[in-house]
Amino acid sequence: MAAKKPVNKKKPAAKAAAKRVVNINVIAKSLDDAAREAKAIAQISGAVELTLDQAYQVQKQMIALRLKRGERRVGIKMGFTSRAKIVQMGISDMIWGRLTTGMIVEEGGPIDFSRYVHPRVEPEIAFLLKRPLFGLVTPMQAMEAVEAIAPALEIIDSRYDNFKFSLADVVADNASSSGFVTGPWVKPDIDFSNLGLVLNFDGKPVQIGSTAAIMGHPVRSLVAAARFAAEAGEPLQTGWIIMAGGATAAEALSPNQHVEMEMEKMGRVSFSTRG
Amino acid sequence: MTIPSGNIEELAARLRSATETGKAIAPIRDELADGGVPAAYAVQQANTDYYLAHGRRLSGRKIGLTSKAVQKQLGVDSPDFGMLFADMEVPDGEEIALSRLMQPKVEGEITLVLGHDLTHEQLTLTDVMSAVAYALPSIEIVGSRIENWNIRLLDTVADNASSGLYVLGGRPVKLEEVDWRLCGMVMERRGEQVSFGAGAACLGNPLNAALWLARTMVDVGAPLKAGDAIMTGALGPMVAVEPGDVMEVRINGLGSVRAVFGR
Repeated sequence: MAAKKPVNKKKPAAKAAAKRVVNINVIAKSLDDAAREAKAIAQISGAVELTLDQAYQVQKQMIALRLKRGERRVGIKMGFTSRAKIVQMGISDMIWGRLTTGMIVEEGGPIDFSRYVHPRVEPEIAFLLKRPLFGLVTPMQAMEAVEAIAPALEIIDSRYDNFKFSLADVVADNASSSGFVTGPWVKPDIDFSNLGLVLNFDGKPVQIGSTAAIMGHPVRSLVAAARFAAEAGEPLQTGWIIMAGGATAAEALSPNQHVEMEMEKMGRVSFSTRG
Repeated sequence: MTIPSGNIEELAARLRSATETGKAIAPIRDELADGGVPAAYAVQQANTDYYLAHGRRLSGRKIGLTSKAVQKQLGVDSPDFGMLFADMEVPDGEEIALSRLMQPKVEGEITLVLGHDLTHEQLTLTDVMSAVAYALPSIEIVGSRIENWNIRLLDTVADNASSGLYVLGGRPVKLEEVDWRLCGMVMERRGEQVSFGAGAACLGNPLNAALWLARTMVDVGAPLKAGDAIMTGALGPMVAVEPGDVMEVRINGLGSVRAVFGR
């Protein structure tokens, strides 16, 4: 952690509040614009010092702009849940983001590459809820709320230059969430703690791994999601999808590419990029 | 080009001495360069002959360089092989004295045990499948007699494919119970996940690696026999071990196996 700067003890609350009010909406709008225009922006942390709480407020505000345009909430995504991811990003805290209808990519369908800044893809596992879930729950309680599980691909696309960011930056940017594809939904009565998976680009393997990379067992990610969602006052809802987090390092996408992931016992999920 | 047999014997003796003294040696690739891969295997074979003559028993083979990443690292496009001796086998969970190891690293892999010989020419995948009696989850504890693992292909081939010890799981599994391409592998050190992979990481499928080995062994006139254990190659990145480590490998459909290291 960076050493704390000396603070003015007389009016810290007022100063912080002023900073928050000024920045949250502006930052949220700039991130939303960057996503809509597929144009990278500079890191926020270069200009102002965002706390993690403030970063989540920016995220909430940015999603509010999407909802105002008619998108609906459909779930949440977990981030930094795998060791590979932690090493790749050089940070250690688990984070979360909000999924909306605007991020749904049809299974097998094309995505327009020009709509992204510098997209990457990572293999994941997705949970579909049959009842609400929130607060401190056990893995067993979490699984009782699960209707089905599916192999899934997440398209992440940082809105920051060169995919470089601090923890607060990436949280504000909705944990880089950009799109997600879910494959066949399967009853959650199989052991999915160590399912092998292969991510193929144009039929050739680019990442090979296991669902065990998601916190040792993907259900731990769901448990954490329930806790995060409750803390944010947005309990996980019936019908929501929870993206459990990347099982391998993310792979950069290129135009005109076929992307497919096969998962042991679960089947496959795919999409294509159009240049 | 070849190199004199006296040099082969000298290099073999140098590697044996490194094993006995526990002192790693400088790379030997430059001295093998003129003879290339055949010379490196000749060094390995010289030590195999020496050890067999001195009472060690061959228990199988190991396949190395089976992952695309490792092949790229060493600039090769083919796997290699080494000898497994019976005294390299360690029971599941039994503490391993550090004095038995040189610069140890561990890999999670699948071991196949043959029920039939694989002696004929032009072997096929189905020949291999028909010959496999059962499979086991396993941990290979690799090591290197070369300082700081500063190896290229010729070094590791001569050094018995950097083999060390091996641990086999205790529950045999039939071929049809495993998804050979997609079976997940995770390695944990005291509950922390340190390596992941799947069957596909080993030449696309561990059975492909076994077929390569079976064909190669026929070519060199030392075919695989019933009872041989074949360590097919790593399913995920290798991990360096520290004194006191307990490494557990789980492979979906095959169960688990542990390597326990002394202090």
